[in-house]
Amino acid sequence: MSRIIMHVDMNSYFASVEQQANPFLRGRPIGVTGKAQVAETGKASRGIVVAASIEAKQQGIKTAMSTWEAKHLCPSLLFVQGDPEKYAEITHRFNVLFHEFTDFVEMFSVDESFLDVTEEAKDFFGAIIMAQMIKQRLKEECGERITCSIGIGVNKLMAKLASDHMKPDGLVVVKPSEECAFLDQCVLSDVCGIGYHRKEQLQNLGIFTFKRLREYPLDRLIQEFKSVGYWLHEAAYGRGDNQVIPYESEPKSIGHSYTLSKDTTDKEVMKHTLLGLADKVAWRLRRDGYQAKLVRVYIRFGDFSGFGKEKRFEQPLTDGLALFKNAWPLIKHLTHNPVRLLGISVGALMKGPEQPSLFKKERKVSSVLCALDHLQTRYGSNSWTRASLLGVHFQARSSGFHFDQE
Amino acid sequence: MHEFINDPIDVLVSFSQNRIIPKQFNWNQKTYQIKTVNLVHTAREGTKKIFFFSVSDLTNYFKLRLDTEFLEWQLVELYTDG
Repeated sequence: MSRIIMHVDMNSYFASVEQQANPFLRGRPIGVTGKAQVAETGKASRGIVVAASIEAKQQGIKTAMSTWEAKHLCPSLLFVQGDPEKYAEITHRFNVLFHEFTDFVEMFSVDESFLDVTEEAKDFFGAIIMAQMIKQRLKEECGERITCSIGIGVNKLMAKLASDHMKPDGLVVVKPSEECAFLDQCVLSDVCGIGYHRKEQLQNLGIFTFKRLREYPLDRLIQEFKSVGYWLHEAAYGRGDNQVIPYESEPKSIGHSYTLSKDTTDKEVMKHTLLGLADKVAWRLRRDGYQAKLVRVYIRFGDFSGFGKEKRFEQPLTDGLALFKNAWPLIKHLTHNPVRLLGISVGALMKGPEQPSLFKKERKVSSVLCALDHLQTRYGSNSWTRASLLGVHFQARSSGFHFDQE
Repeated sequence: MHEFINDPIDVLVSFSQNRIIPKQFNWNQKTYQIKTVNLVHTAREGTKKIFFFSVSDLTNYFKLRLDTEFLEWQLVELYTDG
């Protein structure tokens, strides 16, 4: 028996939450931004539109568009500062709601989840009834403005494609054996996994439709795309992964990046920003019981070119200052160009407690970090900072799976 | 117009069905009657739980903050239409 997979995608999520909270924003084109000054002054700057309301989308505003471009396109656009805590809670709330319907819920992103309802719904008709109940419960739990599009299919690929097919507040079902007919109504880039570059590669091979992709020899697809070639071949028939994984996998890396308020060549600003980011990464490492044996640093310049480098070390680290000391030398020679964004991440993660050092100085640092962690757990993220970082302030980000600024 | 206020306020509330519903508050020597509670969400500051109430009257949107440890209310944000 084929599985019944549901994909629930919240419509214009962050913007809808803001319109739910503030009724005077309803019916108006709004853009949620990450930068306070954009929202406060209403003027476009170097920030981006994190989410656009349905009304803004109707005027051509797209997610990740620069605020300058968005304001130019839609002068009546209203910028609203993002509130990540609020979105994180609503995300948690609707995922709890989904568990009323099935135990198999996989959080795909902050505003999308897959549900395997095969056992609970019994058949596709049951799944449609269930989808309508989810929509109703969502309104009761989160508010009337927060709507979702639901796609139902035999696997995640088709369910997601179906939910994308009708927005906002849609409900689309692709029954077994109807996959090819449905795909033939779509363009290649509608499928999650075929982005701009892959579409171009396919078009260079003369493949513009799913029908043509089905006809294209599998061995030549594999030759061209390696392992992705087989996935493309299967996708053209509407076949794909149908395993909904109801738990989060272990992270492979932990990182933070930050766009500076203006491009800078000031090394002190860069050092402080990188140290602040390293402290955030280190806190998450210690909070979740990891140690890192690799640090990566990323720098983006004013002209949007970038550079990244990584370094491995023998002794696993959990201290922000130690991470910074490993990361800074990797980029310090590049700081003569104006820098727009800095990022740091750690990888080669190991689970488990840190081995006590033989050296007294290092043991002292560990015990200080332990005390600071207790402080941060009790009083939150603003409970301590390094003296050198007193002037550094990071704005909470509005994206990602979780609100992780605590 | 949108403003960040962060002023302490006095709030009249009702408790009903395990929920707390703000009814009116005083700010700047004026009393505001709350017409609708649009959204309630919580956040944590360390172990402290904070409630945020997004409420509105006929012309304004307000975001109220309740510190559950000290039972303190704040007017965090104000949005006036027009």
